[in-house]
Amino acid sequence: MVRVLLVLLAWLLVWTGGVPAQKPGGTLRGVFNSDPPSLDPAQATDTTSSAVIRQLFDTLVELDERLEPRPGLAERWAVSRDQRTYTFTLRPGVKFHNGRTLTAADVKFSFERAARGKRPWVFEKLVGAPAVIKATAREIPGIRVVDPLTVELQLEKPFAPFLYLMAYDASAVVPREDAERLGVAFATRPVGTGAFTLKEWRRDDRVTLEAFKHHFRGRPLLDRVVFRIIPAEITRFNDYKAGTLDVSDIPTGHCRAVKSDPAFKGHVAVWPTLGTHAVRFNVEKPPFNDPRLRLAVAHAIDPSGIVDGLLEGCVIARRGILPPALPGAATGVTGPAFDRARARRLLAEAGMPDGRGLPPITYHYNTSDLNQRIAELLQAQLREVGITLELRRLDWAAHIKVVDEGSATMFRQGWIADYPDPENFLTVLFHSRNIGAAGNTSRYRNAEIDRLLDEADAMAAGPARLKRYQEVEQRLLDDGVWITLYHYSSRALVRPSVKGLERSPLSSAPEFLAPLRKVQLD
Amino acid sequence: MLRDLAEPALRRCLALVPVLLGVSLLVFAMTAVALGDPARAMLGQRADPQVVEQIRREYALDEPLYVRYLTWMGRLVRGDLGMSYHQQRPVAEVIAERLPATARLALAATLVSVAAGLVAGVLAALRPGSALDHLLMGAALLGISTPVFWLGMMLALAFAVWLGWLPVSGYGDGSWAHLVLPALTLGAIHAGTIARMARSSLLEVIGQDYIQAARAKGLSEPLVVVKHALRNALIPVVSVIGIGLADLLVGAPLTETVFAWPGLGRMLVAGVGQRDLPVVMGAVLVFAVIYVVANLLVDLAYLVIDPRIRRAR
Repeated sequence: MVRVLLVLLAWLLVWTGGVPAQKPGGTLRGVFNSDPPSLDPAQATDTTSSAVIRQLFDTLVELDERLEPRPGLAERWAVSRDQRTYTFTLRPGVKFHNGRTLTAADVKFSFERAARGKRPWVFEKLVGAPAVIKATAREIPGIRVVDPLTVELQLEKPFAPFLYLMAYDASAVVPREDAERLGVAFATRPVGTGAFTLKEWRRDDRVTLEAFKHHFRGRPLLDRVVFRIIPAEITRFNDYKAGTLDVSDIPTGHCRAVKSDPAFKGHVAVWPTLGTHAVRFNVEKPPFNDPRLRLAVAHAIDPSGIVDGLLEGCVIARRGILPPALPGAATGVTGPAFDRARARRLLAEAGMPDGRGLPPITYHYNTSDLNQRIAELLQAQLREVGITLELRRLDWAAHIKVVDEGSATMFRQGWIADYPDPENFLTVLFHSRNIGAAGNTSRYRNAEIDRLLDEADAMAAGPARLKRYQEVEQRLLDDGVWITLYHYSSRALVRPSVKGLERSPLSSAPEFLAPLRKVQLD
Repeated sequence: MLRDLAEPALRRCLALVPVLLGVSLLVFAMTAVALGDPARAMLGQRADPQVVEQIRREYALDEPLYVRYLTWMGRLVRGDLGMSYHQQRPVAEVIAERLPATARLALAATLVSVAAGLVAGVLAALRPGSALDHLLMGAALLGISTPVFWLGMMLALAFAVWLGWLPVSGYGDGSWAHLVLPALTLGAIHAGTIARMARSSLLEVIGQDYIQAARAKGLSEPLVVVKHALRNALIPVVSVIGIGLADLLVGAPLTETVFAWPGLGRMLVAGVGQRDLPVVMGAVLVFAVIYVVANLLVDLAYLVIDPRIRRAR
């Protein structure tokens, strides 16, 4: 009898709200620091655009909060034994915002269109894609429409992170008729299959999205999402305090204060993301073509002043090149530790005891208060071992030009992974085929490293592949090519009433890349 | 009187052509020669060299500078400001979207600065050396010397965050509430200058014989000041208002940034950062036209205010 009563009680609890009910409705008030330049997946290159595109479009595959690939538009996929052919089976009945049903032909059209866009590297692994990227062909033979719900993608050679590329927003599927009819205007009048549609875009003011009732996963929980465009971080903070934003970022220099402020109890969310802030060298040019000098600089830098002082402990202390949040980042990798005596010894070995004979080094960095303060700190720390830094601040466009063309000898340049795989850091940044704007701005050439990276890139996912990357990472650190200062984190303010906002390492405040269809308001 | 006004107006309009030519040449050269490649700036952290080249060809960035300038001028003559590199839309459309917001802010800020400046200047001039005079002129000095960015933040903190009377930022649906803080911030730059100029100009006029004569006739002091003194004291004040428009234009990008106001100033700042040359050129041209036209209106105002200038012509 007691057992029956307990079961009845449990049933009653469930019935009356023992499990949280999903409450649809409401408007999420988010914020961006700049206007998205383009809402066309083929044309966007920035995270603000990506944050909107991810709500308006879907991809074949999605990454969950733990960065595991999950079904998106494709309900399942199969990989051939030689790891070169991926066969995706689409969900039946997926609707575009224009009411038409999605087919495999849309996938082929979208990928070929995007390969001619601004992020062609997402598709370059497909058989025949380079010809489309170079505009010498219209079709990618590596994309085959098997039937209306099946598409087969063939790679030139195995590439373990390929599924991540299929989850990237450049791989979003667009309807041919709208993309062709609208042309360039598709960037302002996007049509996708996503959980939200674009309702209004008031330039430099706000982007308003509305729930798409016919989304293949069902209507999203929110009615509407409004992204305000607020360039000044202190204004975003004031707006959040005034209650006009539901999510925002924590302004630089306010992290510790906000964390200890009782008014923000339950609002603060800090989580690691897939980025590393680093100092790089042009290793082709003197003086940093000498690894002893690179290592002397590395040993002279104490990053704790940056992590604990300037950034108030709200970032991740340095480990290797790969951010710890990246799946596969090894714990055993170590870079040059802060050791002034060793830095002095290395300078002496290089024939420059106490920096004598070493001309002043120009350190380039892009304009930001934080970069300025870090540069001044580095200048003071290097002076201790006799290295003189001259600081050169340029805005981003000017900075990236001197860095890409190799005229900066020592410079700040971080990296944020586009997808969660070591290949996206190590191969992009250190393979000799990527020298310059493609990522290897250190202009590092090492045939042995190239060989190891080529092997690792083609290996099947698993511990052996990760071990190969670990070996590369350690050798690069030992060679002093790259000095990690710290790893990035996302520092966000999220109202306790906002439920279901994923804190993925790919997502960084204020531009949350998380799927907002999962969000609800209490 | 209309004939008197038409000739200088025409002359000023003709003078606009070389001014705009000079401004456009200067800005084009500065922006294009400055370090940075618009194609590379467009592509984020990972740029495919082929795509960079493709964009450079698409936007004729591989052409010599003079060819690019002449092409741009050729289009301008036909009323075409070109395409934004970053937004891939006509610059005229980009500017047209933001011009109303900037015009609204500039107009409101001018009203604030003229009203506050004139009232403070007149009150101070009526009691020179008094505590009120010192207080108002002190406030004017503070207004002139306070950085726009800081003043904006303080006003937002006080009236929006603490008191909750006004919105922190944004354009809203065009409501007046959203306009108050940006207009006060931008207007404050110039109100101080107008107040100081109005005070000194009025004091000079008040000391003149015809004012003594008006007083001797038994006219009340407010009537003497407003009807007889102020009109003559206005000439230098109107000059300051015209020149002060430049301050408003300089202050607009900062004010628009602090208050997330979707105007031309913010667009110009973003355009420079993105090396979006057509947008920068378009915005600078609009600013130059506004400045020249405002000064033309000031010149015309002289003619209306002071008949002696009309007669002298």
